Amino acid sequence: MKIAIKTTKISKSFGEKCLALNDISMKVYSGEVLVVMGPSGSGKSTLIRTFNGLESIDCGEIDVLGLKLDSSQNERQIKRIRKRVGMVFQQFNLFPHLSILENITLSPIKTQGKSKSSAEKYALELLRQMGIEDQSKKYPNQLSGGQQQRVAIARALALNPEIMLFDEPTSALDPERVKEVLDAMKTLASKGMTMIIVTHEINFAKEVADKVLFMDQGKVIETSAPHDFFQNAKETRSRKFLSQVM
Amino acid sequence: MKSKNNYKMQYGISKIKRNLGRGLFEGPTNLIITISLSTILSIIISKIYSWIVFDADWSVVKNNLTLFAFGSYPQVYIWRPLIWLLIVISISLYTIMMPSKFLNKHIVATAWLFILPVGIFLLAGGFGLEEVHTNNWGGISLTLILTISSGLLALPFGVLLALGRQSNLKVLSNFCRLYIDIVRASPLITVLFFGQLLIPLFLPQGLEVSRVIRAILAFAIFAASYMAEDIRGGIQSIPKTQIEAAEALGLNKFECLILIILPQGFRVAIPSLTNQMIGLLQNTSLMAILGLVELLGITRSLLANPNYIGGYMEAYVWIGLIYWLSCTFISALFRKLENNLSYNINKSEAK
Repeated sequence: MKIAIKTTKISKSFGEKCLALNDISMKVYSGEVLVVMGPSGSGKSTLIRTFNGLESIDCGEIDVLGLKLDSSQNERQIKRIRKRVGMVFQQFNLFPHLSILENITLSPIKTQGKSKSSAEKYALELLRQMGIEDQSKKYPNQLSGGQQQRVAIARALALNPEIMLFDEPTSALDPERVKEVLDAMKTLASKGMTMIIVTHEINFAKEVADKVLFMDQGKVIETSAPHDFFQNAKETRSRKFLSQVM
Repeated sequence: MKSKNNYKMQYGISKIKRNLGRGLFEGPTNLIITISLSTILSIIISKIYSWIVFDADWSVVKNNLTLFAFGSYPQVYIWRPLIWLLIVISISLYTIMMPSKFLNKHIVATAWLFILPVGIFLLAGGFGLEEVHTNNWGGISLTLILTISSGLLALPFGVLLALGRQSNLKVLSNFCRLYIDIVRASPLITVLFFGQLLIPLFLPQGLEVSRVIRAILAFAIFAASYMAEDIRGGIQSIPKTQIEAAEALGLNKFECLILIILPQGFRVAIPSLTNQMIGLLQNTSLMAILGLVELLGITRSLLANPNYIGGYMEAYVWIGLIYWLSCTFISALFRKLENNLSYNINKSEAK
């Protein structure tokens, strides 16, 4: 199978003491759904943010779709990666001054040179898949959190990415809005998208994940199939974490 | 529906009555204060009224309306600044009065962009119109030209300074900070003197820049440093996550700045930019000291005419009214702009 993302011994520290990522080596195959779990402050978000260059690394090497990144933060390389990797944030981060349609078409028009009409046509198709095509003319703050997050997913998909990164996509949502976002993500996974998801949604992980990666204090503690991880985790630290959240 | 409204109104009025009664007439102290204050107020108002209607001699204003409006602009061509004034007033009124829903933003924006070039063309002439030297410009039309053109010059300059201050290049950011600090530390009048007296010394011989243009440059230099700080405040209020989202979508730094940061930051800065524009309008009156006959300047030279000795009060009340009216227009325009840039504007259109 083709490798989508591979990290080799990457580390990153904030300041002198805090080691956010500690010697992490991991692999994600293309078409795979990897769920990253762990207590807060364990470096999950930092890890997936290094994949598209939002976070620099101090040492080691990252290989994203054959494009290599190291501590030098090569801007051109990062740009090449960002064109092929979509990202969805915890706080949606939609642009409040642009309409939903403009939010989605902005980057395809600017970075891929698409015409306005074709970008809009595709944006409406994506919104239809997300079940919110009737919201296209509204502005982000007129939508519910769940709708905003689905717009954010559509915005990332508009660039036809090969990998999607999700940074706690449901953590800022009302409980009754979580399902609509998770459903959209399930559909995406069933279409064979390579996805890396930081989440606390255990049922979702059980259902959708191909692999679960458990982190604590900047280290990968274990990587297992979801069934094994949730039934009988290998490491004591994982079991302790699971006993607290399940 | 109607009865409900009536009920609401009656309820509202009785509530106001009650609150007024409680605040103004409750207890002897309140009663005394209310009565004495309203006596003083009514005396003042009746004095002002009788002065305006009976005592004041408004001939100084009535006989010189064209001077107030256009200064010593040649009589033959006076229709040119007149047309421009009418254009400015009608576009302002249209922008302010029209409900946002029916406002065609593209037309309004284009109209405002063209107001200055059209004004300069009409006043200065050229391209078929007889040329009129800037020395002959004056009155309200000159005040407006000074305000609008220095404002329009200062804004992009201020944006550049704000961005420069934020730059990672130490040389650039320090230069911008130095510029802003120096200009903010100097009184406007010195900057204006600098513009009138020193700029000609720096220019190559034979190249002459008119006093009006020198004044505009000086105002722009001055206002830009203040606007830069307002815009910097606006830019800094935009959360970093917006930049991250733009970067993750593959936008480069320039696109991120132009498409994401500036539009949002500008909107935050609008209330303080309104202050700057109003200040700018009022500060143009300083040019009277330096010999331009804008609104205050033309008033001063009018009052030097022996015919109008004693007309001080009337003349200054009159131009005070004009300044007040212009400032009210500016703040109404900017309020409209702010509302139109707010993120909910299409609420009614969307559904």
